[in-house]
Amino acid sequence: MATTNLEQEVKELIAEIIEMNPNEIDPDAHLVEDLGMDSMMALEILAAMEKRYKIKLPEDDLPKITTVNRAIEVAKRYVK
Amino acid sequence: MSSRLTAIPQQLDFEQIKEIIPQRFPFLMLDRAVEIEPGVRVVGIKNLTGNEWFYQGHFPKKAITPGAMICEAIAQTGIVFFYVSEPANHDVTYLLGGMKIRFLKPVWPGDQLQIEVTPIKVTSRAGIFNAVVHVDGCQVTRGEFTLSVKDNQDL
Repeated sequence: MATTNLEQEVKELIAEIIEMNPNEIDPDAHLVEDLGMDSMMALEILAAMEKRYKIKLPEDDLPKITTVNRAIEVAKRYVK
Repeated sequence: MSSRLTAIPQQLDFEQIKEIIPQRFPFLMLDRAVEIEPGVRVVGIKNLTGNEWFYQGHFPKKAITPGAMICEAIAQTGIVFFYVSEPANHDVTYLLGGMKIRFLKPVWPGDQLQIEVTPIKVTSRAGIFNAVVHVDGCQVTRGEFTLSVKDNQDL
């Protein structure tokens, strides 16, 4: 998958969960401190990425999803 | 909460349910668990009688089960799922994070809710679940919900 596609898709997927316009999200903004995400939303992001890319993400990756860019990094490790 | 259950049976009666979930009257919305597959699915049962407290006000001239109480029954089945899949060995509280729900048909006094909960994504501290509720084989409610486990000392 082209990297730019994945980056945009992960951003859109996160935007939907945190109910924001994807174009208004700074990819380096902290999802909890800056964008008001809670721990359950982090799990929803993990589950949404699993569903979208048909992958399995371990629980250890959950704390790594702190920004959009970090979520993209996690996804890139598993998406072929 | 701590439980005295030492092994997970394939079914749970009312007293065993109370060993697992902390809710009590008037908020205990589960009578039995009739199918238990740890980590895979739990099917809970709630029998609704015309004597339920919430029918007094919902509604005085025509009793219909409040959707909020069906949500509560779903959440409590989720707690059972969580517990049987990964029993807590210390005091914890289960918190509902969110729910996307569709109420497809009204539920009346005398109906028996059959609540099936299956996992979408579960970690040791939280889970996202699918829920489907049937009455007499007919789907009346379906949705998704998230549940987290918090140590009481952290609340």
